[in-house]
Amino acid sequence: MNRLHPRRTLALLLGPGVVFLLFFFAAPLLFVLIESLRVPDTGVTLSRYGEVITDDQFAAVYLRTLRIALIVTPLAVLLSYPSAYLLSRLPHGRKSILMSLVILPLMTSPVARTYAWIVMLGRQGIVNKTIQALGIASEPVRMMYTEGAIIVGLLQLFLPIMVLTLVSAMENVPEEVEEAALSLGSSRFDAFFRVIVPLSFEGLIMGVTLVFTGCITAYVTPAILGGSRVLTLSTLMRQEALVLMNWEAATVIAVIMVVTTLILYNGLRLFRPREA
Amino acid sequence: MRRPLLPAVILALVFLFLIGPFLVIVVSSFSGTASMSFPPEGFSGRWYAKVFGIEMFRTTFMVSLKAGLAATVTALVLGIPVAYVITRHTFRGKGVVELFFASPAIVPGLVIGFALLRFFVYLSGLPVITGLYLGHTAILFPYTVRVVSASLRNFDPAVEEAAVSLGSTRLHGFFAVVFPNIRSGIAAAFILAFITSFNNVPISLFLTGPGVATLPIQMLIYMEYYFDPTISALSSIIIVLTVVIVQAAERLLGITRYM
Repeated sequence: MNRLHPRRTLALLLGPGVVFLLFFFAAPLLFVLIESLRVPDTGVTLSRYGEVITDDQFAAVYLRTLRIALIVTPLAVLLSYPSAYLLSRLPHGRKSILMSLVILPLMTSPVARTYAWIVMLGRQGIVNKTIQALGIASEPVRMMYTEGAIIVGLLQLFLPIMVLTLVSAMENVPEEVEEAALSLGSSRFDAFFRVIVPLSFEGLIMGVTLVFTGCITAYVTPAILGGSRVLTLSTLMRQEALVLMNWEAATVIAVIMVVTTLILYNGLRLFRPREA
Repeated sequence: MRRPLLPAVILALVFLFLIGPFLVIVVSSFSGTASMSFPPEGFSGRWYAKVFGIEMFRTTFMVSLKAGLAATVTALVLGIPVAYVITRHTFRGKGVVELFFASPAIVPGLVIGFALLRFFVYLSGLPVITGLYLGHTAILFPYTVRVVSASLRNFDPAVEEAAVSLGSTRLHGFFAVVFPNIRSGIAAAFILAFITSFNNVPISLFLTGPGVATLPIQMLIYMEYYFDPTISALSSIIIVLTVVIVQAAERLLGITRYM
């Protein structure tokens, strides 16, 4: 029997995929990174970064992007924890049906999903009609092209991710543990915070990481609900690249966006409980 | 056990928030007038007729379909062997390989799209559709590798070893023994990857050109110029198709396990 040498087998199986990603993923990114550091006649310099960072508009957009993520993430946690707790305790069949509804915003075209909010939040939309009917406002309130609209849109996109992560974390917490706490005299409230939360903490950190970094890099939601009036990092980058044709600035913003997500990604990992 | 009330209320509100907007879109797509007020005035199906009448929606749908299918198949064919190696072998640098194949899902899509655009400009002469196909394939690897790996982990390697020890070659063993047992995992990977490609905006934004756009990009362009229920009708079609596919995939394959 002609058996391949293990090393050759590995190379044969991994090779095509690795080469593909090196060419059409890694190389282009490296190329962009190098270009962002190279200025003709000057050589390697950080001057481009200095120009972008000291720009007032960039600073405002960067802070706004962080602010949006800082609002969406805790809202997602607060709404997801009780939801995930109930979902994780359902029998398999019903859980499966509800989970496939939860993931609908993740699976639907982002354009269709975000378009729904234009219909909801517009001047003639259901939200404005409702608050006028209730007498809260006498004329339509402008909700489109605001930070609030972006926050609502992102919350709908990222709640499912937080719920999914927490459900799979809580499924690993046996119901008996909670029952033990209750039978030993703990209140339901106490049992939730002192048993369920600590035991699903790793899932929480994972969810927070995904949602927070997701908010910073999301494109379609801020593009449609913020427009060119309320820019975030990603819509600013797209504007520089495709509208203003300022590829240098777009490149620098791209690198700053990646570095920010990598810092957050690794920073939040520090909160993960250590394996026993 | 008695179910506590507060979490149940929150769960109901979460569902309303997640699903409600989709229902609003479907209702608004049957509006009798061009205004986008809600609830809509009158009732008609003309916005659906208009969607099918707009040629750009038909051609861009075909671009999305072809690029998505080609990219999904490529990422599966190249990704299955990678998943096999990751789950069946231990070797130095395995962690790096796993991270490498997961990274297209970690790097922001907009950055990948922009980098590919700048890269492809230097490979001038490359047709736009080829660039689109290559970019989409790259971002699908994390999905195909992860889902197929999860499926392989649930299949006992001893069965395959038995086939090999009875004289089957590794290659034949894979196709005769392993493949039939991970079929549902491969189907789940196919569906997840295709939907990811079909819905993608950030990559396509940079890798489309005159005459070649994907459906989501064409929808964004249309929305910039017109504000009538046409996009509601098109979105409703997409939403209903997604619900059908996701429900079927959940029932047959348990797709939420792989997400």
